[in-house]
Amino acid sequence: MRRFGNWALALATLLATASVGITALAEPQTSASPAGVTQATATVASAQQAPASGYVGAETCVGCHSGYDGTVARTKHGFKGNSRTPMAQQGCESCHGPGEAHASDPENVKPVQFDKVPATQANAQCQTCHNRGEHALWSGSQHENRNVKCIDCHSVHASQGPVLMRAKTQQLTCAKCHQTIANKQQRFNHMPVREGKMACSSCHNVHGSVNVKLLRAGTTVDQSCTSCHTEKRGPFLWEHAPVVDSCTTCHDSHGSNNDRILVAKLPFLCQRCHVTSRHPPTVYEGLTLQTSGNANKMFGKSCANCHQQVHGSNHPNGKYFLR
Amino acid sequence: MRARLVSSMAAVLLASAAVAGAQTPPTKPEPAAGPSLGVVDVGYRGGATDGDEARFERYRDLRPGVATWFALDKQTDTFRAKAEAFNVGYRDQSYSGYFTNGALSVTGAFDSIPLNYLYDAPLIWTGDGQGRFTLPAALRRAVEGPTNVANDGTAVGVPCAPGAGPTTCNATTAGQALAARSIYNTIITPGDIAVKREIFDVKVGYIATPAFGFTVGYQSTGRTGSMPWNASYAFNNANQLPVPIDQRNNELRVGTEWVNAKGMVRVDYWGSYFRNDIQTLTWDNPIRATDYNNGLAPPLGPYDPSGYSNGNGPAVGQAALWPSNTLNSFGLTGMYKALPKTTVNGNVQLTYLRQNEALLPWSLNTSVNNPAVLAAFPGLRALPRSSAEASVNSLNALVNATSRPTRYLTLQARYRYNKHDNTTPHFNGSEYVRFDSVPEEFVDDPATTHIEGYSEYFQITRKNLDTNATFGLHEYGSIRVGYANEQFDREGRGFSQVNEDTLRVAYDATLFQMVTVRAMFDNSRRRGDGYILSGIDYEAGPAGTQPGLRYFDEADRNRAKGALVLSANPVGPLNLFVQLATTRDTFLADESIPVGREQFGLLSQDVNAVVAGVDFNPNEIVHLGASVGRDTFDALQKSRNANPPPDPTWTDPARNWTLDNNEVVTTFMANLDFEHFANAKADLHFTYERNDSDNAFNYGGPRIAALQSTNAFIALPNVVNEWQRLTADAKYYFTPAVGVGLSVWYDKFDVTDWATIDSNGPQGFNASTGVPRIDWLGGLMTGYGNRPYEGSRVFARLLYRF
Repeated sequence: MRRFGNWALALATLLATASVGITALAEPQTSASPAGVTQATATVASAQQAPASGYVGAETCVGCHSGYDGTVARTKHGFKGNSRTPMAQQGCESCHGPGEAHASDPENVKPVQFDKVPATQANAQCQTCHNRGEHALWSGSQHENRNVKCIDCHSVHASQGPVLMRAKTQQLTCAKCHQTIANKQQRFNHMPVREGKMACSSCHNVHGSVNVKLLRAGTTVDQSCTSCHTEKRGPFLWEHAPVVDSCTTCHDSHGSNNDRILVAKLPFLCQRCHVTSRHPPTVYEGLTLQTSGNANKMFGKSCANCHQQVHGSNHPNGKYFLR
Repeated sequence: MRARLVSSMAAVLLASAAVAGAQTPPTKPEPAAGPSLGVVDVGYRGGATDGDEARFERYRDLRPGVATWFALDKQTDTFRAKAEAFNVGYRDQSYSGYFTNGALSVTGAFDSIPLNYLYDAPLIWTGDGQGRFTLPAALRRAVEGPTNVANDGTAVGVPCAPGAGPTTCNATTAGQALAARSIYNTIITPGDIAVKREIFDVKVGYIATPAFGFTVGYQSTGRTGSMPWNASYAFNNANQLPVPIDQRNNELRVGTEWVNAKGMVRVDYWGSYFRNDIQTLTWDNPIRATDYNNGLAPPLGPYDPSGYSNGNGPAVGQAALWPSNTLNSFGLTGMYKALPKTTVNGNVQLTYLRQNEALLPWSLNTSVNNPAVLAAFPGLRALPRSSAEASVNSLNALVNATSRPTRYLTLQARYRYNKHDNTTPHFNGSEYVRFDSVPEEFVDDPATTHIEGYSEYFQITRKNLDTNATFGLHEYGSIRVGYANEQFDREGRGFSQVNEDTLRVAYDATLFQMVTVRAMFDNSRRRGDGYILSGIDYEAGPAGTQPGLRYFDEADRNRAKGALVLSANPVGPLNLFVQLATTRDTFLADESIPVGREQFGLLSQDVNAVVAGVDFNPNEIVHLGASVGRDTFDALQKSRNANPPPDPTWTDPARNWTLDNNEVVTTFMANLDFEHFANAKADLHFTYERNDSDNAFNYGGPRIAALQSTNAFIALPNVVNEWQRLTADAKYYFTPAVGVGLSVWYDKFDVTDWATIDSNGPQGFNASTGVPRIDWLGGLMTGYGNRPYEGSRVFARLLYRF
């Protein structure tokens, strides 16, 4: 019955999601962005032909705001070959709104300035186009919940890094709020982020995800990790419980001073749980390391010198992960 | 601080060149440099390394030679194209390309990522590259001795294991054991232990209409090389081998989505097919040339019935490496703007994991595979099934709803359901072979919920509800209050159900256009029901598990968690920031454990981090940044050094001991940049980064006191390390297109770790020599460990922009 209930819930969610989507498709394209912000996105085709009412065109804007068009021209936003880009539509006014009133009275009528409006209003404008793919689940995401603005990380006019990021690298961008996490990359056991072979976005989709912690792949922490570490995905004949629960029980993926980015040094990490009889709760100290055959439970990989298959074993004798 | 993380020379090269044509101050844009940018950066890289060069290179290839970087970014009204190549011909080379004409976009990339463990490792086993490792038969016979049964060899194979004495070690004999080196030192052959991951990736996206598009992605990842891998025979016979890696994962991702102003629907598929071409590790026993056979009948032989601890095992051992497996996942995602100020989105994901590789035999040991033993252990006559038949189905369902009924109120709710359903048939391992040496049988304990010796599979269902209300405070930011409930239903763990409630409050604001504040505090209370030991007599308990043990990842817990991000821009060129993060976990005994009785395992854990920094940009040329951070980690755990009932140590509190593990980490980073000076012809960048760690292990409790009173205890020294990097990068353009560059990179790592065995023993007790030792008490290793290095690289380059 319980199993049936789970699947019933899944089916109901599936149907609800599908119906939402189908309904969305059936709806006419209407304005959905906050008041005062242009809906240029919905009127792409006509906009390219002639300025709509209230629009003055980018040439008028750069008459005063010289240089800004150039900052956009070499970015994706400036690529006119894509009919969805701002410069293929109403130019500056695609994002900032119709400029006729501002052009007539520049002192008293201001266009939308995204650093001065609430996050919900600023983000909604970006979402008129960025409403799919990576950004589909922005609504309800952790960053949205904290009123993070798109322009906190991205700059349309003054980007220094890829994907219009304000900072030169992703790490610098994320460190603006998550420096305490980014600092862990300075520890000598880390994934190759600082070497440029990975980035924060290799694991996280900061725009929203179906997983926890904004993880990009899969639906659980272990599915995210094993999307690259596929050899540890199993499922195995013999399972180790915390592996199935979460890799982060033992590993700090952002960096550690312990081997294999473990959260604590072996054998003590294992002894957090394995406080059972015989050798697991042995006091592993200096004398053991210097004078005992049990030293092999401390040096090198410690417990994993014997229990190597700690992520799971596919051997018939693998109950203790020795084979 | 712009460049606080830019440490590698590669990053310096990439960033500095690219920025030259792209950087624009935020308030005063410069004229466009043009829609195209091309860079050719070619030069020579040289330098020197002392110490552990593999650690110095770790994820890179820094061998002397020609270093290249090429990048092109071209944009016209009809297409955009990018191409890049880095460190061509080296183990960390990468290439990427991108093209779009608006509707169609194609991205391709190849990236090679090395993971270097140890260069010139002292290797003794000879591998065939397919997982079979052998040792010279003559040496093994010299260790085993002439009689097969007695430990009468004339040579040492593994110190403190059968062979030349002493075969067991203690304070009296250890010196002799360490002085009598393993005979296998005579056949050491240097070899590199390193893995290379090569990723080929291509993605195609097509936007058929503004409302409809699809994407197809294919990724193939190969891993080859070798890594340190352990393969042991007994308590005193642990071995480490450079196990060969030959793996490939092919991945396909297909998705299509429909979008309009009101909503979005996406359907996608993710398939991942992992193949491991080396699934079996077979290796010679360094202390046995023949399977041990004492000529007795079960249960006294012919195997060594005490082989559990003394290493009289088989001639050859066999272990299963990673099995090939598949993942297939199907997703449906939707988003709908239900009302002008209400958005609902959700996802349903069905994922199927499968693994059905053939199982290895119970044993290759002839002392196990004989009629008398198989008659005594009939379960070992044949495998219960020939393949793993492992299967997991998972279901994930997510719904988010966000509504803003007024400007000053935002309501959000999120519900997530995730079920991990392992449907693998239980495997009967109640009779099995330990260490390839000794057949044994589990005796089922009726006090436990599972059948002892049968495989257990862990079913997990997570249900997470997260609700928040955010109240706007006009120009003074917003306050968010929230409640979250996380429920875990588990099978196979200590608790059958765990429930965690969290109350949170957060404040976010940008004040007076100069101060940004982000603060949050979470208070959580986690409690479990259905504790597996709750119905069992506390004192007796089931053998093997102390009744007071809690697995900390599911134990009752109180958690307090806070974070603060504070940044200020008091005057134009100056920016200051402080960030704090703290988490305090207190783990509690289950309510079924009598008050005042023992608790074991992790008792508490505190993690604190603080970092403060400054950025100073007095003009468009000079940029200065610095930050300093301090992290502390404090974990208290408790154990009882005991044997199972009826041994009296089981309930003897005098056998209790504690460990307070305390680590302090400091991080300092600074950068100084001069950009576009000398008439915009020159760039100059400096970075310095330093990180150090001091990790202490403080023992306590009556058991420690007792050991100290008999001189049977030596405290472990702290594990410490210090890592420093200094980079400098200079560029000068003689013309707008042609220039030269010079970069210097200095990297120094010091570490003292008692787990690393050098030629004279653990570093924590002796000065490091940097020369790995393979034979320490009870083991033969590859020499891999934490060792210092000092390395430098100089890059002299020619630059060309177009």
